[in-house]
Amino acid sequence: MRECLSIHIGQAGIQIGDACWELYCLEHGIQPNGIVLDSQENQLENAKMEHTNASFDTFFCETRAGKHVPRALFVDLEPTVIDGIRTGQHRSLFHPEQLVSGKEDAANNYARGRYSVGSKVIDLVLERTRKLAEQCGGLQGFLIFRSFGGGTGSGFTSLLMERLTGEYSRKTKLEFSVYPAPRISTAVVEPYNCVLTTHSTTEHTDCTFIVDNEAIYDICHRILGVERPSYANINRLMVQAVSSITASLRFEGSLNVDLIEFQTNLVPYPRIHFPMTAFAPIVSADKAYREQFSVSDITTACFESSNQLVKCDPRLGKYMACCLLYRGDVVPKEVNAAIAATKSRHSVQFVDWCPTGFKVGINNRPPTVMPGGDLAKVHRAVCMLSNTTAIVEAWARLDHKFDLMYAKRAFLHWYLREGMEEAEFLEAREDLAALERDYEEVGQSF
Amino acid sequence: MSNTLTPDVIGRRVEVNGEHATVRFAGVIPPLAGPWLGVEWDNPERGKHDGSHEGTVYFKCSQLSKLQEVSLRNCAVSCAGEKGGVAEACPNIRRVDLSKNLLSSWDEVIHIADQLRHLEALNLSENKLKFPSGSALTGMFSALKVLVLNQTGITWAEVLRCAAWCPGLEELYLESNNIVISERPTDVLQTVKLLDLSSNQLIDENQLYLIAHLPRLEQLILSDIGISSIHFPDAGIGCKTSMFPSLQYLVVNDNQISQWSFFNELDKLPSLRALSCLRNPLTKEDKEANATRQLIIASIGQLKTLNKCEILPKERQTAELDYRKAFGNEWKQAGGHQDPDKNRLSKEFLTAHPRYQFLCLSTCVYAGGLQVADFQLEQSFPLEYGAPEDWELKTQQPFMLKNQLLTLKIKYPDQLDQKVVEKQLPGSMTIQKVKGWLSRLLKVPVSDLLLSYESPKEPGIEIKLENDLQSLRFYSVENEDCLLVRW
Repeated sequence: MRECLSIHIGQAGIQIGDACWELYCLEHGIQPNGIVLDSQENQLENAKMEHTNASFDTFFCETRAGKHVPRALFVDLEPTVIDGIRTGQHRSLFHPEQLVSGKEDAANNYARGRYSVGSKVIDLVLERTRKLAEQCGGLQGFLIFRSFGGGTGSGFTSLLMERLTGEYSRKTKLEFSVYPAPRISTAVVEPYNCVLTTHSTTEHTDCTFIVDNEAIYDICHRILGVERPSYANINRLMVQAVSSITASLRFEGSLNVDLIEFQTNLVPYPRIHFPMTAFAPIVSADKAYREQFSVSDITTACFESSNQLVKCDPRLGKYMACCLLYRGDVVPKEVNAAIAATKSRHSVQFVDWCPTGFKVGINNRPPTVMPGGDLAKVHRAVCMLSNTTAIVEAWARLDHKFDLMYAKRAFLHWYLREGMEEAEFLEAREDLAALERDYEEVGQSF
Repeated sequence: MSNTLTPDVIGRRVEVNGEHATVRFAGVIPPLAGPWLGVEWDNPERGKHDGSHEGTVYFKCSQLSKLQEVSLRNCAVSCAGEKGGVAEACPNIRRVDLSKNLLSSWDEVIHIADQLRHLEALNLSENKLKFPSGSALTGMFSALKVLVLNQTGITWAEVLRCAAWCPGLEELYLESNNIVISERPTDVLQTVKLLDLSSNQLIDENQLYLIAHLPRLEQLILSDIGISSIHFPDAGIGCKTSMFPSLQYLVVNDNQISQWSFFNELDKLPSLRALSCLRNPLTKEDKEANATRQLIIASIGQLKTLNKCEILPKERQTAELDYRKAFGNEWKQAGGHQDPDKNRLSKEFLTAHPRYQFLCLSTCVYAGGLQVADFQLEQSFPLEYGAPEDWELKTQQPFMLKNQLLTLKIKYPDQLDQKVVEKQLPGSMTIQKVKGWLSRLLKVPVSDLLLSYESPKEPGIEIKLENDLQSLRFYSVENEDCLLVRW
């Protein structure tokens, strides 16, 4: 029961997915071929005899041969990146049908991802999704991994989300999205893709957790001592946050948080569903055992900009809701003390209409680190998801870049050529402007 | 003696075989002997009872024997309790964190750990442990692999004594202890793979010789010790040292390294594959960060990872080529020559650039790392670097007008009495303008002038400058060429 389906779209989504399932396998003791390691198996047996162990079930499907297959789907409109998975370390973990690739890519073009090229693959993807959903006893919802700036990540995801809402209307859909970084960009037409996809996906997603590359890049560089972080380094750090968010679904804990609970507690209004992610502590492997981080230390660290996975200054806004997901050696007494201390700080301002503001989840499995990775093993960690009005800064930046390009109709013909109309651009931009206004409105005092 | 477990332990979390619980009771349960821990399991279906025993209400748990990892940090633990008590209660503990407690002497530690036959990791940081003066201390932590003694004020001699109790020790953390390495470990620490000596400001490079012969030492962390130089006297230029034979990963962040010779010395380490050297005066973060990285890569041949970033073969090739070019002029001045017979390099150059000659060799072997059976095939890239050519060594002049000027001789072949004039003209000057200037100079009308030039490189060949609209550069007029003017 309570299964979750992960869908990884586009290059970013797939590479994050690769790191993500690698980490999940490490945490659950699953080897690259899907078989559980012996010692864990025994533990499982013991545990099973006492009560049904549902922890694997949410994310892995067990075949009769004893192999654990991830409940995941990898989709891309061109084969290169998925071929990396097909020939990579985890190739025997996934069933070939879970890796869907097209032949012609979206070329950083939302229109291609959504209309021309995407429409050819969508039916196949939906069919595979159906198959995976049928294997679930009680599907909770979908976790979508994608980037905003790419063609597939923006265009195809919009198309998919629309169709998923049609077929699975009552299921939760959460997104982990890579937002275009303020100063680092990988595509010139990022602003277009981003605005268009946000406009079309907003009504279909329940909650979007955003991260941006620049923030994680800075963390890797300054704190972890990696001189030139590669995507591998960045993704490994990001999936630690993803793992913390899904830990409650995969392990029993003293204070579990379901997918629906995220929505209920983080999203005050349907459109205001873009929480910011932060993670603590982030300790370099070279500095293992140096410092011990108490619960109050890591809670405070979450509110510092150096631990945020998004480049945004929360001091410029107000918090509407905060979800603190602890894992490891944590007791509720310490958590309450830490939260009380945070509330009393001036720099952490909540909106008037949300007095309590905090949702806590505790899971007792400490974070697992990849062997040979950049992070040191710690006894406890926390991932904070905070819905703050300061995120409007990110949208404003994006809208500004969009306006500059659109004013000159630059690069527009690539979209128009694929069947889009200028009206769609205007509509999307209007929607984002309305989103900005919504944020401003909720942040105002009575 | 009081119990190991003081009331502060209540509320602590423990883990037994994957199941988690919170400690609810700690103390003595008469008539049973030894300290007991009462735990409340997270899973409500576990556990034997609701916490009462023979009429008295408190928790009791008999699963403690499966307890594997215990964290008792900051619990005011001061002593081991009754002899054998811990062994009886939880003999299978693998990892214990007793940091920041009130343990005052190694006696107590030994008493606790002696009873834990399977102890693999022990963290005693932030305890100030005293060594009793007698040498009667014997204890064996036979399974211990990881020992953490950060900020304990321990001395090197004491470290060696502890090490004697841990024959299989693999990781030793001694951060911030003001350690001075005073003697060479002979029978102890021979299995250690990782040694963390960060933030021990009293260590200097001479002391490092004393730990240079640990046979299994793979990772050495020397961050923030104030080191500025290192020297391996047993190895000459371009040779490998016998010190630190297994060292693969060296961390020297936050030190005082300001000389390039540091990296030249590191090249002598036979097994070094990874290095982290951030935040040193020489490697400051600024625009030169890339250049610094390239120089370090070129200086240490076998390095595969620098500052946690893999060095790809292409990056290494670029770095080495740049290095060869950058110091080419110095090499020439120090006696270098393309012809190997005439190559006589000065001692200073060889000391400063020990790898330079190697980079000039015609074939270099790079580890592509194909593992076949028991040995590693090295993929060779036939690199025809060779010695640097002269044209490579010409320095790029900054783009200023004076550097764009051509120094030309002006000859008047038909006029025997006119002197040869030397003049600087910009290469972009058109022939028309040259003629105009000459006309004013010689008082000859422009239309009568016929210009051509000859180059000292090809004497006898005269090239006519016929097209007035073209520039001198168009005709490839170069420095030292000679303009011939006739009318």
